[in-house]
Amino acid sequence: MKLTHLVVAASLFGSTALVANSAAADVKVGLLGGISGPIAAMAPPMIDAAKLAFAQVNEQGGVLGGQKIVTVVGDSACNPQNGVDAASKLVNVEQVTALVGPHCSGPVIAVANSVAAPAGVALITPSGTSPEITGLDDKGTVYRTVPSDDYQGRALARTLVAQGTKNVAVAYLNNDYGSGLAGAFKAEFETQGGKISGYAAHEEGKASYRTNLAELSRGGADTLVIFDYGDGSGLTILRQALENGFFTNFVGGDGMKSDAPIKELGAENLTTFVASSPMGEASSSLDSFNKAFTAAGGSADAIFVANSYDAAFVLALAIEKAGGDKAKVPAAISAVSDGKGEAVAAGEWKKAVELIKAGKEIDYKGAAGDLNFDANGDVPGAYGLFSIDGESFKLQTPMN
Amino acid sequence: MEIPGILIYAMSMAIFMGIYAILALGLNIQWGFTGLFNAGIAGFFAVGAYTSALVTSALSANHLGGLDLPVPVGWAAAMLVAGLVAWPIGKICLRFRSDYLAIATIGVAEIIRLVIKSEGWLTGGARGVTKIPRPLASDNYALSELSYLALVVIVLFCIYLLVEKQLKAPWGRMMRGIRDNELAANAMGKNIERRRLEAFIFGAAIMGLGGAMLAHYYRSITPEAIDPMIATFLVWIMLILGGSGNNRGAILGVVVVWTIWSMSEFVTDQLPEEYAIKAKYMRVFIIGLMLQLVLRFRPEGILPEADQKSAQRRK
Repeated sequence: MKLTHLVVAASLFGSTALVANSAAADVKVGLLGGISGPIAAMAPPMIDAAKLAFAQVNEQGGVLGGQKIVTVVGDSACNPQNGVDAASKLVNVEQVTALVGPHCSGPVIAVANSVAAPAGVALITPSGTSPEITGLDDKGTVYRTVPSDDYQGRALARTLVAQGTKNVAVAYLNNDYGSGLAGAFKAEFETQGGKISGYAAHEEGKASYRTNLAELSRGGADTLVIFDYGDGSGLTILRQALENGFFTNFVGGDGMKSDAPIKELGAENLTTFVASSPMGEASSSLDSFNKAFTAAGGSADAIFVANSYDAAFVLALAIEKAGGDKAKVPAAISAVSDGKGEAVAAGEWKKAVELIKAGKEIDYKGAAGDLNFDANGDVPGAYGLFSIDGESFKLQTPMN
Repeated sequence: MEIPGILIYAMSMAIFMGIYAILALGLNIQWGFTGLFNAGIAGFFAVGAYTSALVTSALSANHLGGLDLPVPVGWAAAMLVAGLVAWPIGKICLRFRSDYLAIATIGVAEIIRLVIKSEGWLTGGARGVTKIPRPLASDNYALSELSYLALVVIVLFCIYLLVEKQLKAPWGRMMRGIRDNELAANAMGKNIERRRLEAFIFGAAIMGLGGAMLAHYYRSITPEAIDPMIATFLVWIMLILGGSGNNRGAILGVVVVWTIWSMSEFVTDQLPEEYAIKAKYMRVFIIGLMLQLVLRFRPEGILPEADQKSAQRRK
């Protein structure tokens, strides 16, 4: 009896010890995403978008004179334990040149502190929006292609006040995303002379938010600002606020710009709903990304996909510029998108390689924005207010 | 080139194992030896992590604390505060029997987690606490992992010795007596409520230390780290699988579960690319399956508790 159990235990042990040995001629890049965690619905398209960028690079001749970029996917599960463990695997065992991800801010901070910065490996997160990431002591290894929550919250507050909305209630998801956004929004909205008549956090995954909504509507505002995810509890809040008529106008953050509300609630019921979102300013980069991603079977409207694509593409450029030297990649990332040099758009890999070979400065203009990293590895945002037109979101006004 | 990398990965894995082993030993005191069904490990873990973070980090406008004290002071404070938090909880909840205690402690852990997330002035809210110093850190990646691993191993060893000593002492026999036959222990004149409270606080303080050590490893702590799945139930699986009531079993359980948890990703990565994302769920499945198999075929765990009766008969 005892022996069989030992055999079972030993075979499980043994099966986990099968570590892969793959060819070393290619350039390996780690894609670290919150695959099995609370953002499980968002992660796969983001990973696909990053893979698309590397596929384009490989199609157009590859990096470093013909080498292919190979991706290894790691699961950060949106928590630091899995994030650090997966990053350690990618950096130490798979020996990746750089990391795209993690997706959630908590793992970004932990991975930056305990893997990326000590190992000197570059990390670009496409969706870690916590303001804490700006000030990390990361030896210049940490970048992001999405603006800090501070930026979006403040821009949204300015836009609403400019449009004449002076009294709002704010409902935000109680995590780093929601509270970061809500805090910045509140500070700026009040500075601009607006009034916040209700301000409350809520937890995800509850069946009813009616008591929260009743409490929020008591302040007399007819506009509800929701910082949440449109395919999660944000949808429930929106539905219940509509059903019970707590508010008439709804404003969402970028997490609310999801297809789920349109599918679930119907576009005809959402005429008073707008969502702010990074607007990939109408650019040739965005067009070419949208086209390529749609052709590859993805939905170009999904959240953070353009940011993921940019993170991957800018990383490929940096690897080329650094000559494949892992230690030089972090510095090269800011060099290939700093607003100086010849503009390179999404997908223009061949052109970029020729410019780098000729020793010219290049400036990558991303699909989600121009990037132009600052000294902290942050990017300024290009945000717009989107309303629903037909069955999809359409840009209403740019925000600044 | 390949070998040092694998060694660093092994070290980071061992650090996680060491920290989870500390948590599992804390739970073993409560469940293994006293029979207290504490399903709120994440709560005490969080109290310890945040206490040490606030005590040792530099002043910040985003959260309270910033006392900038040395790390050992932070760890001691983590144990102290986790124990202090456990005291009123134990006072109230330990009157409940097994299942009810589990429900109450889950609730308490959730309360602690929500307080941490919501009270931004105290904990930095969802932004968490960053810039926590890591002891013995240097610019050399491998060296700082190694020195932190050494520290974790030393602490784990001390905790192990402490717990073993305490359990071999009359106190330990008394606890097992209370666990196995409360009526008899009561008839012997043992103060059951008080003894259970002692075990609860002792275990909670050790869990607090585990939390603190993880926060210093990350140099940051955010509420994502105290998710019940990863901070409570994973520890339970480790203890049940390894063998509750046996400290070496608890540590073995941690090693087995974390190895599967971490290294199964290498195996699932061998699957064709179109399964790459789905395959990540395999490890959750494997862990669940292992727990089912162990509970079905070997409920006492891989290394069961030493048989006290036969030990006594030998005397």
